[in-house]
Amino acid sequence: MRTLRMIAVGALLHAKQLSRSPFEIATALIVPVVQATLAVYLFRAGGEPGRLLEAAVGAGLMGVWSSVLFGSGGAIQGQRWQGTLEMIMLAPRPPALVILPITLATALTGTYAMLATLLWGRVLYGIPLDFAHPLLFLVAVPGCVLGLGMFGLLLASTFVLMRNANALTNTLEYPIWLVSGMLVPLTVLPAWTGPIAAVLPTTWGARAVREAATGGPVWPSLGICLAISLGCLAAGALMMTHVERRARAAATLALA
Amino acid sequence: MTALFRLIGVGGVIAYRALFNWTTPAMFIGSLLVGPIFQLLFFAYLGRQLGVADDRFYIVGNAVLAASLSCVFGGTMAVANERRFGTLGHVLLSPRSRTAVFLGRALPYAGNGLLIAVSTLTVGSLLLGLRMPVDALPGLLLTLAVGSLACGFFGLTLGAVGLRFRDVWVVSNVSVALLLLLTGVNVPAAGLPPWMRAVGEVLPITHAAQAARRLVAGEGFAAAAPALAAELAVGVGYALLAAVLLKVFEAESRRRASLDTL
Repeated sequence: MRTLRMIAVGALLHAKQLSRSPFEIATALIVPVVQATLAVYLFRAGGEPGRLLEAAVGAGLMGVWSSVLFGSGGAIQGQRWQGTLEMIMLAPRPPALVILPITLATALTGTYAMLATLLWGRVLYGIPLDFAHPLLFLVAVPGCVLGLGMFGLLLASTFVLMRNANALTNTLEYPIWLVSGMLVPLTVLPAWTGPIAAVLPTTWGARAVREAATGGPVWPSLGICLAISLGCLAAGALMMTHVERRARAAATLALA
Repeated sequence: MTALFRLIGVGGVIAYRALFNWTTPAMFIGSLLVGPIFQLLFFAYLGRQLGVADDRFYIVGNAVLAASLSCVFGGTMAVANERRFGTLGHVLLSPRSRTAVFLGRALPYAGNGLLIAVSTLTVGSLLLGLRMPVDALPGLLLTLAVGSLACGFFGLTLGAVGLRFRDVWVVSNVSVALLLLLTGVNVPAAGLPPWMRAVGEVLPITHAAQAARRLVAGEGFAAAAPALAAELAVGVGYALLAAVLLKVFEAESRRRASLDTL
């Protein structure tokens, strides 16, 4: 219970901290809306006005992933720049438990992207928000966000040793959007991408949210997403402990 | 005159190396060469699935767009990182023309953008099977170079804004996102509302993408020349705007003694 409380309080603290950053606020306010607009015009140009809800949901998911990716990539770097990384690593708790709230907070703030794209689509383009399973949608989105937050820990742990992980995160944005089927259906991708998609929690999270919006069995997809994410959480915790010890031994924590 | 060109050329290259001292070959390849290829594939597959346009439309458009990421952020860094690294005051104390110093900085970024655009076009064509007329290649290279230069000066304009506003990265991030939407690279211009098309007309990339598409379609250089000239005009326009903003904001920051306090 104490651990859960620590994670919850930590996530809230970091979400508050993110909410004070003009950069985070402005980027989070504008970029998802631009992406949603792009998706709407693409679907319209393709003569698919009936799939605009799918486009808005897909664009929202892309925004959630961007938030997790850049947040996780920047989680360590941000603490390093603020001079608080050493203190975090010195805390009498496993490092993963101290970093997890940061990645959860970035996923939490990423939910704005989903809300913004849906509202933008409704208000400006008149997209009817006729969800196939409205209540399940309210479950699938937080479930997907929680899963992505846990996946973010694995990413953050791999970035501990990289001095400029934020530059590398640029590379991971489009591949995950593509392979997870957030906007492009997996069926049109080459067959070799199938196994990659199958092991990514983003694929199942996106599928769960899309099924809640447009119809389909939501629970199996959401369950697989959370199961894979828990695996990522365990792997991330192990990796975080390993790289933290390595960085301490080499005395490169603040420099790596 | 030789000294001026030396200041622009050598100064630009030295500043480029200094501001990118943190990068490594793996990071450069990963973020600047591989990233745009995935962006191209994303839109090509989406375009295929929706039936918006063929692969050629997306390969050429996204190859031209690929230059924008490094040029826009590079141009912004050329000014904004001086402040972050605490060296902006030294640059502005220089007895040489700061306009020449900063305009020269756009050149290495434009060269970098050209490399990325060529790499994206080559890999995209090989992966998705695009064939183009051999005699179109010199014109295509010129088009990509002009597009990269226009993006570099666009980035420098945003960087100049960084002399006045601390959070200039917000402007860069949003600008890069808007280039995706407004330049007609991924959504055919006919599908966009008139006001979006009008904004796109004064942004870099829009005309370069049109010229490149004409060249790849085998229409010849004469058909692409008007669009190429328009892209050049846009680039020159941003160079002038950057020079004016740099001058104004420098004078303003000296007057208010707010260079490092903003």
